Amino acid sequence: MQGVLGAFHELDSAVEAIEELKQNKVGDITVYTPTPRHEFEHVMKHPPSRVRVFTLIFGLCGVTFGYWIPVWISDYWPIVVGGKAIATWVPFTILGFEVMVLIGGLMTVFAMFGLAHIPRLTTTVGYDPRFSSGHFGVWVEADPDRVDEAMTILRKHGAEEVRRER
Amino acid sequence: MATTAAPVLPDGHRPNVPSAARRFPGIGSYEQVDREIAGTLSPTLGWFAALGIAILCMLVGATTWTYQIHEGLGAAGYQPPVMWGVYIVTFVFWVGIGHAGTLISAILYLFRAGFRTSIYRVSEAMTVFAVMTAGLFPILHLGRPWKFFYLIPYPNWRLIWPNPKSPLVWDVFASLTYLTISSTFLYVGLIPDIAILRDREKNPIRKAIFAQLALGWRNSDREWRHFTRAYLFLAAFATPLVLSVHSVVSFDFAMALSPGWHATIFPPYFVAGAIFSGIGMVFTIVIPLRKAFKLEHYITLNDLDAAAKLCLFTSMVVGLAYVTEFQVAWMSGNNFEQDYFWNRVFGQWAWAAWIMLICNCVVPLSLFSQKLRRNTKWLFFLSLTTNLGMWFERFVIVEPSLSHEFEPWQWGTYRPTWVDYGILLGSFGWFFMWFLLFIKQLPVMAMSEVKETLQPRLRVAHAHAGDVDHDLTEGTVYPDDTGAPH
Repeated sequence: MQGVLGAFHELDSAVEAIEELKQNKVGDITVYTPTPRHEFEHVMKHPPSRVRVFTLIFGLCGVTFGYWIPVWISDYWPIVVGGKAIATWVPFTILGFEVMVLIGGLMTVFAMFGLAHIPRLTTTVGYDPRFSSGHFGVWVEADPDRVDEAMTILRKHGAEEVRRER
Repeated sequence: MATTAAPVLPDGHRPNVPSAARRFPGIGSYEQVDREIAGTLSPTLGWFAALGIAILCMLVGATTWTYQIHEGLGAAGYQPPVMWGVYIVTFVFWVGIGHAGTLISAILYLFRAGFRTSIYRVSEAMTVFAVMTAGLFPILHLGRPWKFFYLIPYPNWRLIWPNPKSPLVWDVFASLTYLTISSTFLYVGLIPDIAILRDREKNPIRKAIFAQLALGWRNSDREWRHFTRAYLFLAAFATPLVLSVHSVVSFDFAMALSPGWHATIFPPYFVAGAIFSGIGMVFTIVIPLRKAFKLEHYITLNDLDAAAKLCLFTSMVVGLAYVTEFQVAWMSGNNFEQDYFWNRVFGQWAWAAWIMLICNCVVPLSLFSQKLRRNTKWLFFLSLTTNLGMWFERFVIVEPSLSHEFEPWQWGTYRPTWVDYGILLGSFGWFFMWFLLFIKQLPVMAMSEVKETLQPRLRVAHAHAGDVDHDLTEGTVYPDDTGAPH
């Protein structure tokens, strides 16, 4: 993996640089920002996150499992308690709900980890500690013959620092 | 060139009253947020002193518990017919405290309430530690704590499982789910902030620990895109969970037939009480914290004002629930219910009931005054009375019912012993020990979320940026902690 990293102090400069890099199709772009900014979402034009699919699927699995546990337990050793039916859906709704939240919530987080590619072992290539503080970063994964073009675009839009990395 | 000026007034004070144009008028740049919040992690003498007191109280509780295990549960002041005492009261109290955190972090997040930004991290941490504290009390109450695993849903050697129709089993599910989801919510929100600490840290050991905890977070657009969605869905899951947990705790009482307990009003009554007590504890923690860490320009008077309004609202809901309970007993035609409520307020337990009523219904009415809502000293005092009142609310729910059931020959009383008080003190020590350790290891405020509300540096000036800077340089007086803005 090789490319060019540009560090910007100003948000609009970074956005303009990304626009031009995308227009010229220099390479794959990754943006680093200390906080989520809608300006980057607009310029990067990513599709919506697929986290919601996992939330829905595992939430449904959770509620099914949450109902199944008490029904199975009650049916496995049927003891009539308080004259109630062996399997009663009303009190089991509580367990169904809790297990839905537990499994759905945890799997949402694991899905986020998977889709965002974390945990990762290293942050060294194409990253600078300034990007967690106050700077915006643009990493362009470019072929060797287009690296200079990418550097020129980043500098033209006011990048504070531009460097090659591999 | 950057267009955001450093908003420090000529006299050195940072303004702390937000306007529509500027959420945090005392904060000028992303770097300032990192510097000031990360600066709170340096230990101070006061912090060591507070931690020492908390550990001492915790040790008092641990020693008392050891004594109770040796002597038996009788040391705790139980006497028939009252076999639920301070431990169950304090269990419900701490679960209630744990509610405000997720309310502030999840429900107010979904409602886009701006005032949550500065206080939600503290509230979330408070939630996790409060639920950890609450979890100790059913185990303490067992008398034989080594048998606690009986409630965990797995079968015994005869393949009999715990009864899934029992409220106590629901309680185990609800509390453990709440603890898991609250801890996950806290940790997920912390990841970007831990990455900031990782990038700033000079000490190699701490840097390595932060690097592990940050999971290699790099602030990339891909990470933020999935993070913000996951956070939203987690908040959506946590919202009904907040409402369900204390409802389930209320079923421990409402599913029983005792006078005063067997009422359908219990779930909303408990939830409102939990939010009320949780907000009270948020004030107890946040007000000294903003003073000690000099964070008045982050936790602004407007934030406290908004939280105070929530406190007032929930206090009124709780007051309405008290009145409704009386009305239901009055209109029920049930002598046992009527006699029970009379005994609660004018009889045997009047002293406790009036502490509850004054602290929970009368004192909070002062929050109709905007001047008092913006007075931190008053809010701190009110938070203490709220904590006291809400502990007594649970006392008044538990003890009068058990001591005054259907048969007069069964009537009795309950008097806590020094063992109960020692363990109660220990629970506060345990809670504050974890909290104090937390605030010196991890940021007390969501740095990346505070940054989200700030105007980023722009090369071309934003249309409104000039107005904001103009306001700040006009010499406007922003009083710190006293009264409304002039």
